[in-house]
Amino acid sequence: MSTLPIWQFDVLLLVLVVVFAVVALSIRNLMGAAVVFGAYSFMMCLIWAGMGAVDVAFTEAAVGAGVSTVFVVSTLYNTSATMRSRPGGLAFKLFIGVVVTLAGAFLLSALSDFPKWGATDSPVNATVTPYYILNTIPHVPNVVTSVLADYRGFDTLLETTVIFIACIAIYSILRVDKAKLEADEPAIVAAPRYDPSDSLIVRQASRFMVPFMQLFALYVIAHGHYSPGGGFQGGVILGASLILLAISFDLKSLLRQWSEKTLMLLVATGVFLYAAVGLACMFMGGDYLNYVLLDSILPGEKDMARSHGILLVEIGVGITVMFSMIAIHINLASNGRFDRGL
Amino acid sequence: MDFLGYTLISSGLVFFLGTTIGLLRFPDFYTRMHAAGKGDTLSTVMILIGCICLVPWGLLLALKILLIINFIFIGSPTATHAMMDAGNKAGATPWRKDSK
Repeated sequence: MSTLPIWQFDVLLLVLVVVFAVVALSIRNLMGAAVVFGAYSFMMCLIWAGMGAVDVAFTEAAVGAGVSTVFVVSTLYNTSATMRSRPGGLAFKLFIGVVVTLAGAFLLSALSDFPKWGATDSPVNATVTPYYILNTIPHVPNVVTSVLADYRGFDTLLETTVIFIACIAIYSILRVDKAKLEADEPAIVAAPRYDPSDSLIVRQASRFMVPFMQLFALYVIAHGHYSPGGGFQGGVILGASLILLAISFDLKSLLRQWSEKTLMLLVATGVFLYAAVGLACMFMGGDYLNYVLLDSILPGEKDMARSHGILLVEIGVGITVMFSMIAIHINLASNGRFDRGL
Repeated sequence: MDFLGYTLISSGLVFFLGTTIGLLRFPDFYTRMHAAGKGDTLSTVMILIGCICLVPWGLLLALKILLIINFIFIGSPTATHAMMDAGNKAGATPWRKDSK
């Protein structure tokens, strides 16, 4: 695959990114800022796609422009979309300005020490990249997948754990005991909320779209060996499909399918599956996450065992990411009450 | 085939221009959404069909782009409808010729 380096296009995208960033910071209405942040993420996605980092662009489109916008909107739904100005004098603002300018100047000065983008004599491109390209796992033509799940398997395991921890943190901060809350402050619980639009068109359209989204997400997870994609992207799309159902129908029908207990159990299951694959490798007498040793329990030869090991790990990542997204959305949208919301 | 592709893509761009002008110039929320919803969907679909004509390799890619077109054709008008509905519920008053 060849990417045409059209630098005018890159400059245009970069200018747009800066414009969106400034607009998102200066806009007073937070709902508008959320939408502008979505546009910002989409521009970043285009820049990464132009650089040839299609996997990163995919993740940015799914997480940055897609799901995180929904998270911000559902947070604003339960709080307020108008920004109250912080009390802060001129001295405070000057201090902030000086700190930000200094930090930016340091970052820019460090930028000149980096090798040029795509330079063949930079340390990374001279040693590590050729190794990965030459030694990518057979049956895994997508080098990114084999680097992420095999050569840097620990990295990805910890990334998955970070998502798990984020989900647990949001859950433990926001989740409230409804019965206890009703005893303390009945007025807050009983307060009538704005009922989201209950439109037949939206419901039928999302009912039609969701199966295709889920099919595509499964394709992304399973086909991540050959094409851009993998557990993270597919998991986010799977989560987004259920969040779409929750928004277009209501939160109750989602919670009827996936109870709170099941959700949190599945969030942990994904990480467990990943770690268990690593442990299984150790039981077979090798290093943690060295998939080659799984060839006696998985079908196929040694090369195939690595490919299958990556698939198992990606499925674990997908499960954790999918149900983390759903649990975070339910927490934010229902204000931790798990009953009704956006 | 190439000619057809370029024609479709450039006419799609013309419709995009119309969408943008409509979005900026129309008097109220509903007419603006109308311009955005209709023009955006049509021009995206035209550009993607133009892409199908231009790509040289294979039926599978054309099929994938057709699926994207199908998705946009359903998703974009639905999103426009949802925003119109929300605007109506939030109380945006439609523009009239006699109202200033």
